[in-house]
Amino acid sequence: MKYFITLILFLLVSYSYGQKFTLSGSIRDGENGEDLFGAVIKVKELSNVGTITNAYGFYSLTLDSGQYTIVYRSTGFETQEIVIDLNDNIEKNIELAIPADVLQVEEVTANAERENDNITSSEMNVTRFDPKSIETIPVLFGEKDIMKTLQLMPGVKTAGEGNAGFFVRGGGADQNLILLDEAPVYNASHLLGFFSVFNSDAIKDVALYKSGIPAEYGGRASSVMDVKMREGSTKKYSASGGLGLISSRLTIEGPIVKNKGSFIVSGRRSYADLFLGLSDQAPPDTKLFFYDLNLKANYRIGKKDRIFLSGYFGRDKFALGDQFGFSWGNGTGTLRWNHIVNKKLFSNTSVVYSNFNYEFSIGTGDDAFGVRSSIQDWNLKQDFQFFLNSNNTFKFGVNGIYHTFKPGALTGSNETFNELILDTRYALEVGVYVQHEIKIGSRFNMMYGLRYSGFDLMGEGNAYEYDEDGHQTSETQYSSGETIKYHHGLEPRLSASFILSESNSIKFGYNRNLQYLHQLSNSTTSSPTDVWVPSSNNVRPIIADQVALGYYQNLNKNMFRISAEIYYKWMDNMIDYRNGASLILNNDVEGELVYGTGSAYGFELQVEKKKGKITGWISYTLSRSLRSFDQINNGEEFSARQDRIHDLAVVVMYRLNKAIAFSASWIYYTGDAVTFPSGKYEINGTQVPYYTERNGYRMPDYHRLDFGFTWYMKDRKHFEHSLNFSIYNLYARENAYTITFEENPVDPDYPDGPQETQAIQTTLFKFVPSLTYNFKIK
Amino acid sequence: MKKILFALSLLAIAYSCQKEIDIDLNEANPIIVIEANYTAEDSIVRVGISLTSNYFGTDQPTTIDAAVVTITDALGNAQNVPNIGDGNFELLNYLPLFNTTYTLNVVYNGVSYTAESDLPSPVSLDEITYDFFPSFFGLDSGYISNLNFVDPADTINNYLVILTRNGEELNKLTQITPQDDLLTDGNPVARPLFSQFFDFGDTIGMELQSVDQQVFNYYSELISIAGGGGGAAPANPTTNWDNDALGFFSAYSNSRTEAVVQ
Repeated sequence: MKYFITLILFLLVSYSYGQKFTLSGSIRDGENGEDLFGAVIKVKELSNVGTITNAYGFYSLTLDSGQYTIVYRSTGFETQEIVIDLNDNIEKNIELAIPADVLQVEEVTANAERENDNITSSEMNVTRFDPKSIETIPVLFGEKDIMKTLQLMPGVKTAGEGNAGFFVRGGGADQNLILLDEAPVYNASHLLGFFSVFNSDAIKDVALYKSGIPAEYGGRASSVMDVKMREGSTKKYSASGGLGLISSRLTIEGPIVKNKGSFIVSGRRSYADLFLGLSDQAPPDTKLFFYDLNLKANYRIGKKDRIFLSGYFGRDKFALGDQFGFSWGNGTGTLRWNHIVNKKLFSNTSVVYSNFNYEFSIGTGDDAFGVRSSIQDWNLKQDFQFFLNSNNTFKFGVNGIYHTFKPGALTGSNETFNELILDTRYALEVGVYVQHEIKIGSRFNMMYGLRYSGFDLMGEGNAYEYDEDGHQTSETQYSSGETIKYHHGLEPRLSASFILSESNSIKFGYNRNLQYLHQLSNSTTSSPTDVWVPSSNNVRPIIADQVALGYYQNLNKNMFRISAEIYYKWMDNMIDYRNGASLILNNDVEGELVYGTGSAYGFELQVEKKKGKITGWISYTLSRSLRSFDQINNGEEFSARQDRIHDLAVVVMYRLNKAIAFSASWIYYTGDAVTFPSGKYEINGTQVPYYTERNGYRMPDYHRLDFGFTWYMKDRKHFEHSLNFSIYNLYARENAYTITFEENPVDPDYPDGPQETQAIQTTLFKFVPSLTYNFKIK
Repeated sequence: MKKILFALSLLAIAYSCQKEIDIDLNEANPIIVIEANYTAEDSIVRVGISLTSNYFGTDQPTTIDAAVVTITDALGNAQNVPNIGDGNFELLNYLPLFNTTYTLNVVYNGVSYTAESDLPSPVSLDEITYDFFPSFFGLDSGYISNLNFVDPADTINNYLVILTRNGEELNKLTQITPQDDLLTDGNPVARPLFSQFFDFGDTIGMELQSVDQQVFNYYSELISIAGGGGGAAPANPTTNWDNDALGFFSAYSNSRTEAVVQ
């Protein structure tokens, strides 16, 4: 660590002389004034010299004095070129215009001088998109969903039909760090996973890091999904929204003070329960809905400072009159202060709050009782970005998260139940990182960094010790703030690219990630009652190491992008639970756990067509994901549930003309690894399945075709609207959601005959059409 | 809670459908299954021994008579449990000593299988109450019975609740309700039992078995996998037999009561 800092200081010093000047500023969307993230700044006269804007639209480029043509470019915008005489530090804020005509976008991008950032950037294995670019892709119930679209990318696997959860390169669904404006989202699904918590209308940018994860991120073993909310237009007020069969949404945005600050408020509510009212089978006063609200405001104080406040609040509710209630939801809040310290140093300070909780309430009056559980984070974060010169950029920072886990409490006035409050857990998770992005010559880019992370599980509370069979053997009491167990480690990260030519490159990535929180789930779908367990005296942090190698090729003037990647991943301190483990309201949950290792490897191929009337991609993944636990499967290696060998997605979008767009997606994957019986026996007159190996069987292969049609109706000056029609599972494939093994119903002719057994497959969605109307008032 | 989550997901997936499918399953080597109960109520030890069969097989399971079965009390007195044919073994007039441990041993094919079970004292049931339950998301309507009893304080108690209807045994596994006292120690317990609906005029019979912790866990796991569930990775229930035998040995006491729905 010490040597590392010395090295960086050395680099800082060695580059700090010479007649150099800095061009800095911000790049914004000309229409609404929002910051453009990842916009490219290139120097036309020099090869491999340039930079990109950071998440706040800021850029800084230091060059030798001279005259240059600077090219500003961002996907979907008209490229701008300006000629500058760099003989002093220059500040240049740029607004990029959107082409007047949607179809013209294609021409503009086609005419853009170079669209090969995927080849030249050192950023590896990052999948990034703007929700606008996916709006025509057909989705279930017409509710466009960034998480569902991510699952169409190579290396990202869906956690199952209608499930917002996902698996990245063989890791678990809890190993993805999901950030919404820097705030971790603990449960990213609504309605038990049929929808994600992200309202696409409020989202600006989504990035998913699969390997070579930058050092600024930490806390999860497998991937980072970084979601950034829109800021709202600083130029004019507008409202947009959509009416769907299941839910509706409305977004209002506008300037607080023109060109200085803006706000956006976006809300969404589902109304599936209104249909229940039409059914006489549901009891009256049945409620089943979710809503969410995204809020964000920002304000520029002078030229150098800017304040952002963003929040998310979402909740699912299910109630049967006043007899039973179940609700869960996330709340997050982020307060950020951007400060341009000088032309080369950018600072961001954040205070982040995140909360997830669920609660049950049963009964009324004297008999009422309830169960509640929550996890709460306070996160203080300081990040710096230092643009030393056109070849060297540094990022460094520090953060501390104070976690409070309340795994469960049963309270109430019902005389049947004794109050039970599980031990509250407190922990401080710290991270310090430094990262250096360097260009060496015109062909080699590298980003390397080191992160130190630590996790201090603290009192007040008890720590328990367990024997081999999970029985509690002793308990130790800790006072408030006293360390129960401190886990820590170093996480090196590296990602490098070697540019072979303008149109092809090779990239390499390595990352080690530590994960201090584990999620326990005993069901095939994600459930809000899944328990998060912190690392402790019994539970060690997951350590994941991954190496990845990729080849990238652009063809036909960057019209086609081809990427091929291979990876290998080692995972240590994975957890699973004993047979029959009880995970809810159990103070001894750590005694129910067993520890093992995992490995995952694979090959990913993607061919993407970026331009023209027909766009889309084909992605294919060939991969394995294996686990090994002493106590499971007699210690033999077994397939993880997501060990799908083949995974294929084909997405085609066809823009017929200005008014009409068609889209289709087809996906196919090998069935999940699953445990089926290899025999049966009789207990109490009932047939019981006899299981031999864990996950030794496969579900049937999954495939499905979705179709979408969007009609952009005639635009008026202040109003535009469109109609989206989609069909999910067009050819009504009966995909297996679950397969259960049970006794046949008794044969009335042979009531005493031997009871036969059968396998029953449940299928969820066959041919689901949906219609959504979208509008925008501007 | 699981049932509620299930109902919730059912609601969300009104589009779902079910069908029987063909699946090619492996044929595992037959394994010994020992289902053994010592019932304090009638002082009888009942043991059934069989082998596992192929999952989709339609033949009667192979039963084992050529085994030696012995029960031993806490004082070390061993008694043979005689074979009565069809894989069954029965020992009559074996008087109970509550709160002691019994050991059952089976020797078959040169392999010895042993399990231990504590025999808890019986806990008496209070009067059965019942309520009319309206139709709910397409489920049947009918009367449901309520379990009522007072849990003894300061001891760990584990129960299995078994219903009969008009004297007819319903003790298919999925109609057994496990009940512990983790959250209800020392309290009067009143719990609706959704496992069986009754009609007007029916006689509800209820049995409250007091079992030890291992038997309780065994049944809890068994019921979840027999109902087609078992979560993401179903496994054989944790048995108190050694040497990889399937099944269980339960020494239990019980109390019973009845009520007519009127």
